[in-house]
Amino acid sequence: MIIDFFKTQIKGLIRLRRGPWEMLASILIALGVVMLMQPFALVAYTYSFFVLLVGTVMFIVVSHFPE
Amino acid sequence: MSGFSVTEPSRGQKWIAGILVVTYALVTLLPLLWIIATGFKSPSDAIAYPPKAVFEPTLEGYVNLFTTRTRQTPDYLAENPPETWYDEIVRKYDMVVVGPSRYGERFLNSIIIGFGSTFLSVFLGTLAAYAFSRYKVPLKDDLLFFILSTRMMPPIAVAIPIFLMFRSLGLSDTHAGMILLYTAVNLSLAVWLLKGFIDEIPREYEEAALIDGYTRFQAFYKVVLPQAATGIASTAIFCLIFAWNEYAFAVLLTSGTAQTAPPFIPTIIGVGGQDWPAVAAGATLFLLPVMVFTILLRKHLLRGITFGAVRK
Amino acid sequence: MSGTVMERAANATPPKLARQIKGLSDKTIAWIFVAPTIFLLLAVNIFPLIWTIRLSFTNFRVNRANLETKFVGLRNYERILTDSDIWLTMQATAHFLFWTLFFQVLIGFALAWLINRKFKGNDLWTTIIVLPMMLSPAVVGNFWTFLYQPQIGLFNYAIAFLTGADPSSFSMIGEVSLAPWSIVIVDTWMWTPFVMLICLAGLRSIPDSIYEAAECDRASKWRQFWTITVPMVLPFLMLAVLFRGIENFKMFDLVVQLTGGGPGSTTELTSINLKREAFEKWRTGYASAYAIILFVTVFGLASIYVKALNKVKER
Repeated sequence: MIIDFFKTQIKGLIRLRRGPWEMLASILIALGVVMLMQPFALVAYTYSFFVLLVGTVMFIVVSHFPE
Repeated sequence: MSGFSVTEPSRGQKWIAGILVVTYALVTLLPLLWIIATGFKSPSDAIAYPPKAVFEPTLEGYVNLFTTRTRQTPDYLAENPPETWYDEIVRKYDMVVVGPSRYGERFLNSIIIGFGSTFLSVFLGTLAAYAFSRYKVPLKDDLLFFILSTRMMPPIAVAIPIFLMFRSLGLSDTHAGMILLYTAVNLSLAVWLLKGFIDEIPREYEEAALIDGYTRFQAFYKVVLPQAATGIASTAIFCLIFAWNEYAFAVLLTSGTAQTAPPFIPTIIGVGGQDWPAVAAGATLFLLPVMVFTILLRKHLLRGITFGAVRK
Repeated sequence: MSGTVMERAANATPPKLARQIKGLSDKTIAWIFVAPTIFLLLAVNIFPLIWTIRLSFTNFRVNRANLETKFVGLRNYERILTDSDIWLTMQATAHFLFWTLFFQVLIGFALAWLINRKFKGNDLWTTIIVLPMMLSPAVVGNFWTFLYQPQIGLFNYAIAFLTGADPSSFSMIGEVSLAPWSIVIVDTWMWTPFVMLICLAGLRSIPDSIYEAAECDRASKWRQFWTITVPMVLPFLMLAVLFRGIENFKMFDLVVQLTGGGPGSTTELTSINLKREAFEKWRTGYASAYAIILFVTVFGLASIYVKALNKVKER
């Protein structure tokens, strides 16, 4: 079941469908937020903004992909 | 009873749930009751140990809130007997009232800026919401998201250029500047909420009106507006509450003429630190209207806090 | 679509009358209605934002207007993103965010679940519980410093009463180890009702028939809770968590009045830190870059929030 889920997601990514791309962007944004505020590595904090920016811009772009 | 139902909680469950919720409600209410009570305490009662729940009520806090006072010599006090009831209260501490405090002005500022921005944002918001609800606006979803995202901006982040902008336009510390700013912040809430309310009005009403020979504008204000009245009223209250409570912009962009109450109340000081009864009195007067509005709004509360997404 | 009916009505009438009925074209009306809103938001939000972006690449300082403003490229960003002090304020924000969300979800959901037992008078008590959330955070936060006073404060007294400790032996906002919790407590007090209200809406959106079906299948109450209640409320909970997350990430008024960032910088959340840089140290360019970083974070989270919003709307 989980494998099927990933299969459809990857298919969606290749066909530039909105759903999976939005999920990918959301994951990037979430990752960026975690990197920004985690107390473990300064390097992660340094690159958090880059990840956030990529995720956010990606979100804006992919929300115009067809469903 | 309408018969047995598996989803209906048992009586015992209801009792336990009720007791727990009421306990929480009472605990959560305690700080608010404490604010109201402290407003009627004398300064010594306010800082008594253990904290006093039973005390002799006095209006000292309210007198201190609304007046400025100065200490006088015993001779002066003996020669000039107190003329008013509030002067008499102050005499206990060898003081005389010399004038009003700034609280009244600040409160008035809150009212002017609150109502001004509420009126503007509801007016503009209704128009925009109607258009978004009824017409095909190009890039509708993007515009709606853009409108919402302006609400999400951290106030401090936009405060820097707004500070510079207001300074060069001569808008800093003016009522007009603050009204404009709060209108912009509230507009997003107004548009999203009102769009939800207008979406719920059946289009058939307007269509009937159009067939009867109304123009689009007439249909809008003779048919849609009355139908949306409740929605508009509750949106207005939400905008008012926001403008009323706002602190970050107010503290950064106003200092005198246009300062609202929230940045002012914490600066009420007496001898050796904050004058707690006066602060509590000021807070009581400031918070009570919002409490009343919250009770009036209770049916629409959920919509307001979720930008109209959850309707119950 | 309504357009068809209206157009038919318009076309069925003579041309002159038709023009009167239609008045302006739909497109024009739409633009007249939307334009003021968009214009105001552009002027008060987007224009300043673009200005901030521009400033963030310079070394501009408001308090030294004569100083030559130089373009410094990405240096401001570089300095902020390698500054371990700012990293520490981010961690303070993370602590605040994590624990407020944790307690608010826990207590908020529990309360919603209890209120949904539909005991007599639950509406009245819901309204009472909601009150703190609607009040001015700055004014209420300021008053909490009074409740937190050692010895005379009501909070300290209550804790002393419950635990037997000396009420003057601790200071919630004066001690490094307690201050981060003092802001968590007040924020939880204030905003638990928010999570509660949204959870309640989620619980009420579950049709009884699902539980009835589960009952027929002899599923235990415990199982029903985890397989029906929780998954059905989850989208609502997501919405609440995202919104509170965004709000608390940019938290300013409540904490400024409560602790002012102190003691030291233990409760210096990012917004407070930013305010220091921008309006006390007047490093405008640097603070602008800082503001952009916060803005992008909030904007990213807001896009996820809108997605969650639409998901709930479909229910």
